[in-house]
Amino acid sequence: MTKPLDVDRKMPIVKKAVSNPYPLKESAIVKWSLITISLLYISLFLILPLISIFVTALEKGWETYVASIVHPDALAAIKLTITVALIVVPLNAVFGIAAAWLITKFTFRGKNLLVTLIDLPFAVSPVIAGLIFILLFGAQGLFGDWLFEHDIKIVFALPGIILATLFVTFPFVARELIPLMQTQGITEEEASISLGASGWKTFFYVTLPNIKWGLLYGLILCNARAIGEFGAVSVVSGHIRGETNTMPLHIEILYNEYQFTAAFAVASIMSILAILTIIIKHIASWKAKEF
Amino acid sequence: MGIQIKNVSKSFGSVKVLKDISVDIKSGELIALLGPSGSGKTTLLRILAGLEGLDEGTILFDGEDITNVSPKERKIGFVFQHYALFRHMNVFENVAYGLKVRPRKTRPSKKEIERKVNELLSLVKLENFQDRYPSQLSGGQRQRVALARALAVEPKVLLLDEPFGALDAKVRKELRRWLRQLHNEFHVTSIFVTHDQEEALDVADRIIVMNNGKIEQIGTPDEVYENPKSPFVYDFLGNVNIFRGRLQNGKLKQGQFEINAPHYLDSHDDAVGYARPHDILIEKEQVDNETVPAKISFIHIVGPTARIELKREDNGEYLEAELPKEQFKNLQIQKGEVVYVRPKQLKVFIPEDFSI
Ligand SMILES: Nc1ncnc2c1ncn2[C@@H]1O[C@H](COP(=O)(O)OP(=O)(O)OP(=O)(O)O)[C@@H](O)[C@H]1O
Ligand SMILES: [Mg+2]
Repeated sequence: MTKPLDVDRKMPIVKKAVSNPYPLKESAIVKWSLITISLLYISLFLILPLISIFVTALEKGWETYVASIVHPDALAAIKLTITVALIVVPLNAVFGIAAAWLITKFTFRGKNLLVTLIDLPFAVSPVIAGLIFILLFGAQGLFGDWLFEHDIKIVFALPGIILATLFVTFPFVARELIPLMQTQGITEEEASISLGASGWKTFFYVTLPNIKWGLLYGLILCNARAIGEFGAVSVVSGHIRGETNTMPLHIEILYNEYQFTAAFAVASIMSILAILTIIIKHIASWKAKEF
Repeated sequence: MGIQIKNVSKSFGSVKVLKDISVDIKSGELIALLGPSGSGKTTLLRILAGLEGLDEGTILFDGEDITNVSPKERKIGFVFQHYALFRHMNVFENVAYGLKVRPRKTRPSKKEIERKVNELLSLVKLENFQDRYPSQLSGGQRQRVALARALAVEPKVLLLDEPFGALDAKVRKELRRWLRQLHNEFHVTSIFVTHDQEEALDVADRIIVMNNGKIEQIGTPDEVYENPKSPFVYDFLGNVNIFRGRLQNGKLKQGQFEINAPHYLDSHDDAVGYARPHDILIEKEQVDNETVPAKISFIHIVGPTARIELKREDNGEYLEAELPKEQFKNLQIQKGEVVYVRPKQLKVFIPEDFSI
């Protein structure tokens, strides 16, 4: 637990139509220097590292690259990461839709509190999120004895990793849907019910189609975070090679063992996933706006 | 289907928006719900549809208590103030929706649905717009889609919330006539909300006038217009001229002015007489003291009627008269001239009438 922890946080990107409020008339020099600065900045901090990942990964040839990826530990890490994402994303989709539905279509006591609580994972450091689960389910934790007696393993096992990932990713879908559903209001749902549709049919025929692109957008962000989460998972995983290491943890271990090529090979897989995510996200947000 | 609303009250928080509302609506009636903004019209309609709960009272459909029946079982068609069309469905799908979502047992076949929707679309003259999405329609077209969608489920009651609200005057009039025809054809009990008195007077069998969460008057357009029960109703249903005065021995008096009000025999110090602009006569000479002198301040001729604005010589209050153009020409009056104004018909209210 003394390892350096990743604390970078990806905040949700606020979608806003770009508009030009004032006809700002910059001189050509200002304009071009601004463009140059941003391009330099992006190259330096985004493109260059990305290229260096692939360069280092392929440094010792294609065969070493493939060997690093098909190494049993690497494959196990990839499999675990995908498993976690496959469980976490659908759960958060359900939770996110339910929470957004509740918050936007009903009025009840404690609504503001719920809205605030949804943001909690954004405010809390992932390390602390991980520690919460250790405190609850660890050997010395609140439920530690009970879990031990019943032979249930949560921390240092898949359930713990899933819980920690769930915690850090649960705002993404809800945060994306709440503003969307708020602007859409409830009149279409009322129309549907007055036409004789049941609650479920109203949800599937009216609500869901209206939010589908926003939902997809939220799911993509949620998925990206679930795959990339390091801090919270690192605390609860126990770093058992081939068992509880997700891709980011596996990369770190390889790196600490000076296996740079292998580390970068796995990192390149994650980068490809990230690039794909960005492309899909772009399409989704564009579709959402068009809709 | 007949509707009985019995002692319905409703509050939002501490604000009482409906106060002890009771109405009997006969099967097949076309009712206008008329009242100023915020008087509770939408709330009453939503309660009838089951979209809003009520605090007290009961609602009966054909004698059956449906107060706690869910909206989807009430068999009502609701046309929303802002249409509420399904934005991701085209016109055809919007109209078909109510049939498509029926449980399998009662759901018509695909062919049957198609036939029905086409029939309705030709009724609302939108046959060629099947594939359009709501965002590609004009306000009037959306309105008609909303109506067709509500009619598709063959409702027993049709509730329309300001169905012509956002439309221009000509389209309004067209749709209004069309609603009347539709109603004559289908004989479905209908209630439509409006805050346009002309619209209410023009189409409805009966009008419910609401103010501040209460019913001021229920009656046929003629009853409500000719015999308003309260100053509010009088005021709301058209332009008015006000004559304040003292009520004594069946006469309303103010200074020189003294007019017969034979239906009012008790005495009151501050009574108010109301007269509509078309019940005002203009005379060039003073023949008796049932007239007041006034100076013509404005003449406006629109089509067949002349609207004349006058300022009373005695107290400076403004009056408005409306007379046929022909009659106006014969009078030969001009702006700035002093004439004598005679209220042909006066409806007198005493202070208690105002506090209802
Ligand atoms: N959901 C709500 N919560 C709180 N107050 C409400 C709610 N809906 C309506 N009201 C209040 O109830 C009163 C009556 O509203 P309602 O919408 O029935 O008026 P209306 O007669 O339809 O007015 P308009 O002609 O402007 O549509 C208003 O004072 C309004 O502010
Ligand atoms: Mg309203």
